[in-house]
Amino acid sequence: MSNALLLIGLNHRTAPVEVRERLSISDAQQESTLHDVKSMAGIEGVAVLSTCNRVEAIVSATGEDVIESIVNWLCQRGQVERGDLEKHLYVLRYEDVIKHVFRVASGLDSMVVGEPQIGGQVRAAFLAAQRCNALDGLLERLFEETMRVAKRVRTDTGIGEHAVSVPYAAVELARKIFGDMRGLQALLLGAGEISELTAEHLNKSGVTQILVANRSHDRAQELARRFNGQAVYFEDLEPHLRSCDIVIASTAAPHFVIEPAQVEGALRQRKTPTLFLIDLSVPRNIDPSVGKIDGAYLYNIDDLQQVVDSNRELRLQKAGQAETLVTREVDSFRRRLLAQEAVPTIVELQHVLEAIRASELEKCLRNVGPITAEQRQAIEMLTTQMINKILHYPILRLKESTREPQEHESLRQTIRKIFGLR
Amino acid sequence: MSPNVTLYIALGFYAAGTLVALISLFTREVRTQHAGLVLMIVGWLSHTFWIGTICARTGHPPLTNLPEAASFIAWTVFLAEMILFFRYRVDAAAFFVYPLVLMLLTVSAVVREPFAQMDPALRSGLFTAHVLLSTVGVAALLVGLAFTLLAFMQDRSLKSKQRGPLWEWIPSLNVCRTLSYRTLAIGFSIYTLGILAGILWSYRTTAELIDLRTKQIGAIVAWVLFAMLLQLFIKGAYRARRTMVISACAFVATLIAILGIHHV
Repeated sequence: MSNALLLIGLNHRTAPVEVRERLSISDAQQESTLHDVKSMAGIEGVAVLSTCNRVEAIVSATGEDVIESIVNWLCQRGQVERGDLEKHLYVLRYEDVIKHVFRVASGLDSMVVGEPQIGGQVRAAFLAAQRCNALDGLLERLFEETMRVAKRVRTDTGIGEHAVSVPYAAVELARKIFGDMRGLQALLLGAGEISELTAEHLNKSGVTQILVANRSHDRAQELARRFNGQAVYFEDLEPHLRSCDIVIASTAAPHFVIEPAQVEGALRQRKTPTLFLIDLSVPRNIDPSVGKIDGAYLYNIDDLQQVVDSNRELRLQKAGQAETLVTREVDSFRRRLLAQEAVPTIVELQHVLEAIRASELEKCLRNVGPITAEQRQAIEMLTTQMINKILHYPILRLKESTREPQEHESLRQTIRKIFGLR
Repeated sequence: MSPNVTLYIALGFYAAGTLVALISLFTREVRTQHAGLVLMIVGWLSHTFWIGTICARTGHPPLTNLPEAASFIAWTVFLAEMILFFRYRVDAAAFFVYPLVLMLLTVSAVVREPFAQMDPALRSGLFTAHVLLSTVGVAALLVGLAFTLLAFMQDRSLKSKQRGPLWEWIPSLNVCRTLSYRTLAIGFSIYTLGILAGILWSYRTTAELIDLRTKQIGAIVAWVLFAMLLQLFIKGAYRARRTMVISACAFVATLIAILGIHHV
């Protein structure tokens, strides 16, 4: 094979945070890091991926001896003893690198399977390398293919579609109820940490107006300012229940603050007969019998946690489908790379045999003496066809062998030896 | 070539499309479902050709007997589904609409009746308006019922906090209810005009406002039930179970009205 594709790195599974933080590379250090690695002898191309969960160098090199240089550089950079670092490091080669990069970009190697940020981080890492002219042709192709596969995994399996945190689960449910969240109004009762976070996510998802009611009106005003909303008095709840679409309750009250009669009254007076109530407090603030009212959808903290748990299971199921897809894509990409590597051999083979044909034909024609243009054309055609026939099977077998990299390499070398190619 | 060949081709593609769409329910792959949609569209094109050949042969719309009417309703139902799919991308409606289209066309293929030349007495604009409006109205109402069913399923899933098999396929409750209301409102208006045209035509030809046979009773009961359903939507007094019970009764009444169609 022309270039060795290697990956040297560590991640949250192989190294504790104390080691990862020593090696982590900030955005500002990216350029100098790429320059340092690219300037090592034998390195043709490099991309460095550094997130809170991993530090990995993906390199295209003339040989595997660059591994030694990169490990030494990592030790020096993190000021770690080689023996201490080596036990956390992994080194992947060629096909394993492709598979690993595809899996990482698709979120299959993440702490939270299917998390969407990693796709953007991989993209940013390759783009940074591209800007620094640190990518060679092999890494460029790997980058394009990785982004395509990551997108396909997300689209085809929907692995990142399901929320795996309580606030996101609440937003996901709100979307299942209302669809478009623009123009909706939410009422925040109390000011717990999760409820604030939920309100923030709802706000980001398009909920335009957030009303905040708290026992302490000052605190309500402070929160309302944060969400560009409006503080309302806790005692004036009922008129606001009528106008709101989503209610998030998380007060410290030891009793119910929303009763079924209030919800029934509010629903009767609303244009749309739907109210989503999220009770994040313990003890609960919303009477559970509210959930039995038509048009009222009540979820407490346990219900939301259940949604999160089942989403996690769903993501794991989808991860199975995604792994199959990644394996297929790795195989296809590897074969395309091998087929591309075979092209110079095929072209060289054709040139060598064509040169032999042309020179032998000239010699022969000199001995034969003058012939007509038609006769020369017929001999040219005959010899060209013979060469094509001779080349047919070696080229075919070379292309077919891309299914098996070792067989392909051995066949390529054999052909080069037999036909005396350089 | 017999014109029925294109009918059987359409039936074959509809059956394949429905099967593929139902398989996608288990594989949970949108691509599989879209493959089903492509098969359905091919079937629908063949179906369109069949309807065209009948129009050309008889010189009137294919609505004079049960097979023709069932076929035309199936054709219109799928047309409405396509419009809604490409506008709103509601994948889940396919699981109800495709089998319904297949069922209606199967009725059309199984109940063989010769192509009838229309009685000259029936060649009136009022009669044509009656059959066309009623058929298009029924098709829209059936699609509306499919969306009502989706809204009900989504409501039950949200209430029970358990994901049903269609959870991922069904759009938001709000979208289902809006589409259900809009298609029912449009369908009901057209259907009402169709019934009025029928009453007028009956009065002109027989001096009777209505001839109470199975078809007519089914049609009137369906009309009343759809009116009740629409009233629930308009009042905003949505009650999941009540809506579903009325929808189920309306569906049965509509089927009775369709199956009650004989030679006019």
